[in-house]
Amino acid sequence: MLLLMQSIFWVIAGISAAPFALAGEVFMAGLALLTLLLALGTCMCAIGVLWRRRWARTVVIGLEVACLAGSAVLLLIPLGFNRGLVSILVNVAVPFAVLILLRKDREAFS
Amino acid sequence: MFDIAPDHAIGLYAGLLTLPFALLALRLRSAARGVPGTVLGASVLMAIAGAIHLGLVWTHRGETITALLFVMNGASYVVLSQLYTWRWWRPASVALITATLTGYLGYIVLNFDTPDQVAIATKLLELTTLGLVLVPVRGETLRRRSRWSVLSVALPLMTMVTVSVVWIDDLARPDAQHAHAGAVLQATNDTASPEQVGAAQKLYDETVAAIAPYRDWHAAWAAGYRPGPQNTPSTHWMNQRYVDAGYVMDPRRPQGLVYANTKHGPVLIGAMFQMQHIGQFGPDPGGPLTAWHQHQNICFTPFGVEFSLMTPTATCPLGSIDISVPPMLHVWIVDNPGGPFAVDIDSKVVKQIDQG
Repeated sequence: MLLLMQSIFWVIAGISAAPFALAGEVFMAGLALLTLLLALGTCMCAIGVLWRRRWARTVVIGLEVACLAGSAVLLLIPLGFNRGLVSILVNVAVPFAVLILLRKDREAFS
Repeated sequence: MFDIAPDHAIGLYAGLLTLPFALLALRLRSAARGVPGTVLGASVLMAIAGAIHLGLVWTHRGETITALLFVMNGASYVVLSQLYTWRWWRPASVALITATLTGYLGYIVLNFDTPDQVAIATKLLELTTLGLVLVPVRGETLRRRSRWSVLSVALPLMTMVTVSVVWIDDLARPDAQHAHAGAVLQATNDTASPEQVGAAQKLYDETVAAIAPYRDWHAAWAAGYRPGPQNTPSTHWMNQRYVDAGYVMDPRRPQGLVYANTKHGPVLIGAMFQMQHIGQFGPDPGGPLTAWHQHQNICFTPFGVEFSLMTPTATCPLGSIDISVPPMLHVWIVDNPGGPFAVDIDSKVVKQIDQG
């Protein structure tokens, strides 16, 4: 469920870049596409986790660790990263919760 | 949207305080044993959502209907959070969450409320709860397929609609300090006094005179100004020495110069003063005329140095990061429709300079 929510958040992020791409920011078009692909990949992984596939569990753990590490770096360096409630929920609490939920039943995955 | 409204903070505290009690309730109730984890998760999230709504009653007691709705909504959430063994728990929960989400969207569309961090976080909580309520559990055979279908369509759709409405409302009806998307303006008085008009004119005249030598970009280069990426109609040339020194609104040492990128070469169109630290607004001699602005919650990508806006769910496109930059004040030395201290230069002005 959390992975599906995460996937939707990335769909929104991808779509949000589209107006800027249309306004002439060419690199944003590429980033929007990449973000939508990430969202699709996350959704596929969510289905994989549901079907207890070991590859999906591994990919998701890697993805969430990358998310948490990225958020930690951005929170530590003084770039003005948003420290709001929603940002902490989406960028820290959700990846952390996914890792906790996937941590315990490794044997259940094939 | 990225702040916490003072009258909503109490809801956040109520929600956080409820979390340990909701977990304790699950532990103590024998009925919770054998109940699937998704159901228990939904129960905890519903208890938190209920507490948030009940917490908001106190600060909305002056608005009878809203307070009443908060009471009904909060109480329903709390009751349903404990009724997870009830036969009709799922339909009742789906109906309550859907009604709450729809009602909230109606409220903000009708301008009865403005979205803030507590509201958005609560909506995300409710959407996650909706997903947990809908997801079929192991061993469940009844309507399993239809529940998956509803989940895979309803949840993404409701999330997209909720976030879109919140974002559109925020962009369409900004308050005075967020009139420029992606920036927060310095708080000032509404109308400039004659003294403030005079002070703004003085700042303008001094800046125009002081940066006149930089009409020749070679002089700017010699003074230490270096251009940023030039794939845009205008470019900020920054002087890192002046940025590091922390000069405050010194017309002889502006931290940046702005040049229009024309086919005849760079044409000076303005100066930019910048403070050293995020959240530290500079002196404001002209009141509303010389309000500083701070770009915040923008998604910045080093690839081509491009920007987009951070979404209400605090995400940026892959390859870009959310940043804020210290407050800045522009002084435009060309005729700018927004005024000589406007946040941005009008793109038509830059186009005219290029054509001229």
